[in-house]
Amino acid sequence: MISGRKISSDTWWGYFFSLPFILTFAIFISYPLILSVKLSFLDINILQPEKARFVGIGNYVEALKDPLFWRSIFNVLYNQAIFIALSFVIALFLAVLLKEIRWGGSFFRTVYFLPVITSITVAMIMLEYLANPAGPIQTLLVQFGWIREGVFWTFSEWLPMPVLAVFNSWKWFGIQMIIFLGGLYAINPELYEAAAIDGAGWWRRLFSISLPQLKPQILFVLTVNLINGMQMFTEVFMNFDLYGGPYHAALTPVMYLYALGFDKNEMGYAATIGLLLAVVISILTFVQWKLLNRKGES
Amino acid sequence: MKTSMGMKNQRRMALVLIYALLTVGAAIVLYPFLFMVINSFKPGPEILHNPTSLPSRWTVDGYVKVFDTLNIANLFKNSLIISGSVTVLNVFFSAMVAFALAKIRFPGRNLLFSMVLGTMMIPSILLLIPKYSLLFNWGWVNTYKALILPVAVQPYNIFLIRQFYQRIPDDFLDAAKVDGCNLWGVFWRVILPMSSPVLATVAVLSFMGAWNDLLEALLYLRDESMYTVQLGLLSFQSEIPGKNAEQLWAGTTLVTVPVVLVYFLLQRHFIKAFSGVGLK
Repeated sequence: MISGRKISSDTWWGYFFSLPFILTFAIFISYPLILSVKLSFLDINILQPEKARFVGIGNYVEALKDPLFWRSIFNVLYNQAIFIALSFVIALFLAVLLKEIRWGGSFFRTVYFLPVITSITVAMIMLEYLANPAGPIQTLLVQFGWIREGVFWTFSEWLPMPVLAVFNSWKWFGIQMIIFLGGLYAINPELYEAAAIDGAGWWRRLFSISLPQLKPQILFVLTVNLINGMQMFTEVFMNFDLYGGPYHAALTPVMYLYALGFDKNEMGYAATIGLLLAVVISILTFVQWKLLNRKGES
Repeated sequence: MKTSMGMKNQRRMALVLIYALLTVGAAIVLYPFLFMVINSFKPGPEILHNPTSLPSRWTVDGYVKVFDTLNIANLFKNSLIISGSVTVLNVFFSAMVAFALAKIRFPGRNLLFSMVLGTMMIPSILLLIPKYSLLFNWGWVNTYKALILPVAVQPYNIFLIRQFYQRIPDDFLDAAKVDGCNLWGVFWRVILPMSSPVLATVAVLSFMGAWNDLLEALLYLRDESMYTVQLGLLSFQSEIPGKNAEQLWAGTTLVTVPVVLVYFLLQRHFIKAFSGVGLK
């Protein structure tokens, strides 16, 4: 293994096999990243690039003072707080139930995964018709007396984000459930047997064996959820105007970026919003990791 | 005896409860699909006035009209070219990179793997505007490749496959090397055939991602002859509620069916591949 010829041949193969990623990284990731920083210092319209003007940190100052930018950040946070908690509980609960059964498991797994593979476009059309004031959901709620009359939720000031969060939990719990289920199957059964001998009940086993053992999966799901959720676009683009309805209640940072870049042709400002959003996402991911890892140690 | 009978009954009750809960869950998951398919066979006005009832008369008018107003065959062709290419390239290239990262020792490997992880953490939105201005300057607007090449290798897929390859014992590779295979031979004849579960998962995820994409298609495909099915569906979204209702449901049903079929073909691989996902 240590002979010189062997090492150099493996090195050659190593770079050869890595080439697809090295090329993608150079052309489509690092170059645009640098370009993005450059754009953020410019006032530029992509159709007339020769008229670009250097504005220094002007775009950043403008963004930090822009109430629409802050509203869009608030909106996704509001949405994610509900979505992450709700979909986590549903996914974990169903994974735990599925692990208990021997017969029919693959049927339920297949069914629960269907919303995940459905396109967001189709899902949002479903939502529009299911949740409109005359649709089945609101009809049911009125019959139960939970609401007095149909609500035009897309025009309201605070409802769009919770409604989308609940619907997205329907759409995405399946993939989280599959990941948790994989983790549950990997847990050594002896742990449960030992706990059962000690007289631990079902809840006790869930909280002191299943959950701690699932930590890698939970961390993965929460991280991916946060990174994806903060970049919500299609959901709001389908059912709202480019600025998120009358109260901007459905404006997300990505839709704002899209509106700035392609509706107002302010590419420099749009790139700045993208960079700031990336900073916000990094900070949140970092905080989430710190919190979850500390909990695990105690 | 009595207690063991009691335990057995308790266990049976618990199972009944579990199946009941799972069935309620399945009903909630399936209802919107049922709603979609049933409405796609209804006469137009009924969709608006009786959205939840069964059709008074089953009709395929919606489907006929969809084919009249949209060039469905062309939408599907465009979507299939894009999603198919993205899928094939991702499976092959990500497996190559994952193999290097998991099984070949070479200087810079750890750096490369941190680059993969780092790229996973970069929100794709950050690249949207600069990538657009780059590809716009290259004249890639209105081409398939603008939607294919930038996503031909995705770090998430590399990560997933690498996890799987790490669990393959090195003995397999050494045995193949003794038989005179070079590393390409090892990859092609030993590793790839062993990795069908994880490759199937990557294939499904890549296909879904490409097939369901709206934002990038919206940006790069301007000419109607280049539209994907998702862009086609957008044209039914109208200011007037229920204007295109029957085409809308027939269209959404048509768009959903191929993805569901692909998923049914490959779904048994899913659990296996995902059981290795996690961050430690």
